[in-house]
Amino acid sequence: MTMTAALPISMIPGDSVIHRINPIAKLIWVVGYIVLAFATQNILILGVMAVVAFLVGIIAGVVKPLLKAMIILIPIGSSLLALQIIAPAVERPWTQVGSIGPLALYGDGLYYGLVLLGRIVASLIIALVVVMTTHPSDLFTSLAKLKMPYTLNFMLAMTLQLIPVFQREFGIIMSAQKSRGMKGTGFSAVLPSFVPVFVGAIERVQQLSISLESRGFGSNGFKTSYRQVKVRARDWIIGGIGVIVIAGLSAYSIYRGLWSLSAEIQFSPEFVTGLFLVSALAFFGTIAVTIAYSFKKS
Amino acid sequence: MADPKAIEVTKARFVYPSGHVVALDDVDLTIEHGEIVGIIGQNGSGKTTLTKLFNGLLKPTSGSVVVNGIDTAGKSVQEMAAHVGYVFQNPNHQLFARTVEAELQFGPRNIGVSEEEIAERVARAVEFFGLKDVLEEHPYRVSFPIRKLVGIASIVTMQPSILILDEPSTGQDHQTTHIINDLMRRLREDGTTVVCVSHDMPLLADVVERVVVMKNTQIIADASPREVFADEPLMARTNLQAPQITQIAMQTVVPLGGPVALTPRELADDIEQRAGAKKTARKPVAAQKGAAS
Amino acid sequence: MTDPIIRFDNVTYSYPGTEEPALRDIDLSIMPGEYVAILGLNGAGKTTLGLCVNGVVPTMLGGTLEGTVTVNGLDVEEYPVREMAKLVGMVFDNPEFQMSQMSVAEEVALGLENAGVAYDEMVRIIPETLALVGLSGFEERSPLGLSGGQQQRLAIAAVLAMKPQILIMDEPTSNLDPIGKQEVFEIAAKLNREAGMTVVVIEHEVEVMAQYADRVIVIDHGRVIMNGSPAEIFAQVDKLTELGLRAPEAAVLAETLRADGFWKGATPTTTEPAVAAVRDLIGAPRG
Repeated sequence: MTMTAALPISMIPGDSVIHRINPIAKLIWVVGYIVLAFATQNILILGVMAVVAFLVGIIAGVVKPLLKAMIILIPIGSSLLALQIIAPAVERPWTQVGSIGPLALYGDGLYYGLVLLGRIVASLIIALVVVMTTHPSDLFTSLAKLKMPYTLNFMLAMTLQLIPVFQREFGIIMSAQKSRGMKGTGFSAVLPSFVPVFVGAIERVQQLSISLESRGFGSNGFKTSYRQVKVRARDWIIGGIGVIVIAGLSAYSIYRGLWSLSAEIQFSPEFVTGLFLVSALAFFGTIAVTIAYSFKKS
Repeated sequence: MADPKAIEVTKARFVYPSGHVVALDDVDLTIEHGEIVGIIGQNGSGKTTLTKLFNGLLKPTSGSVVVNGIDTAGKSVQEMAAHVGYVFQNPNHQLFARTVEAELQFGPRNIGVSEEEIAERVARAVEFFGLKDVLEEHPYRVSFPIRKLVGIASIVTMQPSILILDEPSTGQDHQTTHIINDLMRRLREDGTTVVCVSHDMPLLADVVERVVVMKNTQIIADASPREVFADEPLMARTNLQAPQITQIAMQTVVPLGGPVALTPRELADDIEQRAGAKKTARKPVAAQKGAAS
Repeated sequence: MTDPIIRFDNVTYSYPGTEEPALRDIDLSIMPGEYVAILGLNGAGKTTLGLCVNGVVPTMLGGTLEGTVTVNGLDVEEYPVREMAKLVGMVFDNPEFQMSQMSVAEEVALGLENAGVAYDEMVRIIPETLALVGLSGFEERSPLGLSGGQQQRLAIAAVLAMKPQILIMDEPTSNLDPIGKQEVFEIAAKLNREAGMTVVVIEHEVEVMAQYADRVIVIDHGRVIMNGSPAEIFAQVDKLTELGLRAPEAAVLAETLRADGFWKGATPTTTEPAVAAVRDLIGAPRG
């Protein structure tokens, strides 16, 4: 029997306004977000972007899975902030605002840490919301319309499709190995399982290619498409606004030399020290929990 | 306490962590040492989940599973491997060594069998399964039926006191099924407990002494193959079909007090008696033995 | 007299890089509307024979083919597999390995898209085809989330949508449970009886084949060594056993009784005639 494990990040079926927007219009916003996020060091812009993306998530009704997927930001974000505060990734001079033992804490480090974090958070939220509200088939159909080669498109769709299958296969194979008394944990124990997974994948692909060819897959002739993705006026407007707003802001930000507000915004020493401690604790805490959990599991 | 049973499942319930799907509900099952038990039922009825409890691959959500006197709750699959051998349905999930020979040595080595003993066991398995010519081959270079036999042999060399076979005859021709059949007979002679999950009724009719029928997460019948196959409402309710020969017997000799036959030979004997004609000297029929299975 | 829909003329085939031919001197004709069962040990050449009919062998897999395979009057070697797809539908043993799309409807649509069938046509054909295999209402489900039996019915629907004249199934139920088996064979029987589709099934389960097939072909070491009606083939219990195969238990029973001098009539291959004959023999009332 087939039990398909759900991907941690996959489409959440729904019929919200966001679900109904054309995939290409959504894609424009994702690309635009990433461009703007890296075209600016203005923490206010990044903050607004993150908030807007989150609001879109609320409208789409995907807040819960969104928050779940964003757990990954805890170790990343905390390590980033902690490291930036003690070793900023910008050119000196750095303004020291306090110290803990031998560690000097820098205010502009915190600013750049927040900029980096803002870039990641804003881009990640919008990308997740779009993935969670777009049926992959619709996306691929739209991409095909944009003249993306059929085979490449099919390969992408197929890969997405096969991830849960291989997860399941891998699970069965691990069980089979354990049942034969295989000892040890970690990578060396997992390694032998790659042989059957790999062989299984090859057999699957061979069989699938025969099956597909038998259904006329290799045909060079005119192809039609069953999935019909409509492009309404609304989609043009949303896409258009995306292009204009993002291009405008990006251009202005670059014109202002990335528009950094590190000189304008000064953090109080207590704030920097406190945030450093919280980040460092969160970071090491996550590591400790992960290690403890992996021991418990094995 | 008396001798521990081979398998003792008490009030076992199993719920898959994701999706809250109940796979087993309130299952009680005791299997004695040396029994040969078949488990039948449609896919999704809970057969595979049940057998996975036996070697600790799954732990019951509630209730207990005690194997050879050991509660699986605190044990890892690796620890249970010395007691319970589990042959997976698809050999491709199980094999990974460079040669068939290495494959056969892998299991016993893991559970600490001496090298001399391993060599002996491998030699016996090679003889029994007819693997002499492929010993140096890569397991994935041999044909699928042979690979299936290698999969079974790789567990048999561990000489577990309990052996679980998941759909051993799936996709196999009659010839390979015959070898699996012989294996189960030999294991019975050795006193190994065998649990065989299968849809292959003729296979079970031939070697199994007891059939456990599952439907919708529960055991709904547990009796000899004859009793189970003769229970027409039960077979209909589970969408299972008794072997053809049993069906013929049910519609002919059984209402007259004849046996619930499991093999053509058995039914033929009864018919011949009833037909009342004088017994002519029986010509040996080469087909009977093989064709009956 | 109608012409055969599938014809093998003296076909010998070897896979690339092998010396031993997988098929040897095959001469075979299958008439339109026939239901043919192919039996043989694993590795006897049954699958290869099936793959010849839509040209996967040799067009896609290479190797050397002597002789000719003609389907509906077309020399298979001269047409790409994708062209043959409109004529021959293939279903394989592992249902999951035939699934490639995100939804059931798209899986069925794939062949139609490749053939350039218009959208309006597709929205008509897809529900029709799904209804035929009992999968109405499954349109938006993921193929990988279906049961094995459902997947295999979907695989059948995916080829049926292209309206082929021939359906070839290679051990279509070896991975299915009894319900799944029954579902698949009932659909094939319906297509054969009601739509006159030519059906070729490669299968180990002789009881099932005795029930459905008009003709049984036995392959051994790449050769056709038996070819006839189920009654003719399955009466030869000893010969089948020698080949490592078996006959339906009904036939084995009759032949056992015949050897002992108790059975005089024809060899039954399915349950009902065996029951009737045994009742006569032991003097039990019929029916």
